[in-house]
Amino acid sequence: MNEAERPTVLEVQDLVVRYGQQTAVDGLSFSISRGEIFGLLGPNGAGKTTTLSVIEGLRKPDSGRVVIDGVETLHAPLAVKAKLGVQLQASSFQSELTIEQIARLYAGLYGLSLPQRQIRERLADVGLQQEITKPFKKLSGGQQQRFSLMVATIHNPSILLLDEPTAGLDPQSRRQLWDRIEGSRKRGGSILLTTHSMEEAQAVCDSVAIIDHGRLQAFGAPKDLVAMHRDDPRVQAVAHGDVTLEDVFIGLTGSAIRD
Amino acid sequence: MTETIARAVPPIGLTLRSLLRADATVLLRSRQAAILNLAVPILILIVTNRGGKLGNPGFLIGMALTYGLLSSALIGYSITVARDREAGVFQRLRVTPTPTWAIMASRLAVQLVANLVVSVIVMIVGSIMHNTTFSFGVYLLMFVVSLLGAVVFLSIGQALVGLVKNATAVNAVGRVLFILLILTGVLGSTGILGDDFKSFASWTPVGALINLFSAVLNTSAWGADQTNGIIACIGYIVIFAGIGIRWFRWDPQ
Repeated sequence: MNEAERPTVLEVQDLVVRYGQQTAVDGLSFSISRGEIFGLLGPNGAGKTTTLSVIEGLRKPDSGRVVIDGVETLHAPLAVKAKLGVQLQASSFQSELTIEQIARLYAGLYGLSLPQRQIRERLADVGLQQEITKPFKKLSGGQQQRFSLMVATIHNPSILLLDEPTAGLDPQSRRQLWDRIEGSRKRGGSILLTTHSMEEAQAVCDSVAIIDHGRLQAFGAPKDLVAMHRDDPRVQAVAHGDVTLEDVFIGLTGSAIRD
Repeated sequence: MTETIARAVPPIGLTLRSLLRADATVLLRSRQAAILNLAVPILILIVTNRGGKLGNPGFLIGMALTYGLLSSALIGYSITVARDREAGVFQRLRVTPTPTWAIMASRLAVQLVANLVVSVIVMIVGSIMHNTTFSFGVYLLMFVVSLLGAVVFLSIGQALVGLVKNATAVNAVGRVLFILLILTGVLGSTGILGDDFKSFASWTPVGALINLFSAVLNTSAWGADQTNGIIACIGYIVIFAGIGIRWFRWDPQ
């Protein structure tokens, strides 16, 4: 099946989110197909996390809609959440529970009554068989990310939402995480991720959306975006040698530091 | 095969079972808090047993029970909820297909059961310390009053986490509130601050509950104060639960 024939898993249409007088997301639209890895890129405060929050059902939009697998989030929020796998920017689980107990809790919340053997197998799959009695906070950064991803995919979601999944990871842990994300895609899942690493986005994403001030600045496959903006004077001004996705990103969103 | 790909909304029974199991485990692992919630009421019973002039057994056991319920339901519950909210635990739960009412109902149910267990232990220790035997009916009534008291203090705890967002502030305000409630209720109920204050105290959450416990342990003492106490408790539940539900925010910031 070629890309054009793949069914749409996620559709964001004319999304608007305001915080008081400030518009965080301003008419954003994009869609993701089955099996696609999609990167939502933008500087700090661009509206990435707010957009994810709406898709995750944590925030209601002021206008616009989000449709997942044909179901609109506002009409059937719980049914939509059952199709999502979510890894938040800062995952937090009850500090008194062991990771085995957490895995069992989240399996139950997704409607899976997994026996202990299967829970342990899942933990062994992500190399945490020795850590089953530890609480989440006692795991290393890489182990925490692996565990969070395992919990997020415990129910084989249609779409996986990852908010800066590789932030703070060493290269080995990052590589392992990408292998697992790739594995999830091979099983038919789609992935929507945010990242500040343009090299990563260029390497792993099928398509990316660059947003700033809540608006879509550019959308397409990384190589197409590079080709499309290669001659843009704003991109030329920041490029050193061959134009990269990072040059396109900085050219379109500016060099000023955002807090 | 037990493993399936979850697509529809999970059955609420499985959701609640999973939440209750996890919340009960969290509570059982918080041994320090559990011991404190039980140790102080028992200490009250031991200390008040020495002099024999601090009040009738009904009042003293009622005071110990009220203290236990207040510290566990108000302080324990509100601090745990505020801490988990700030840490993002609720945020993580809310991205699952779990209704928010189930998340909170599970926490309240586990806390309520823990409070009732503490109450039963305090009742038994109280009857031993004060050489009093209670009929099954009295135990049952005390259980009902404990349930009422736990709901009152959980409602106050819910209002606290509804109105105050920061976990450190919840801790500080909760402790100040705890002292104020204990002082007005206990000192007022003893009558050492005068009749006017005693009358006022009978309408406070702690005072109303001490009156109810005292009356249950000595049924002849049932009167207007106790009827007022029940009215006050129901009023507190409606008002504070209303505030706690209306203004509660799930997100960490």
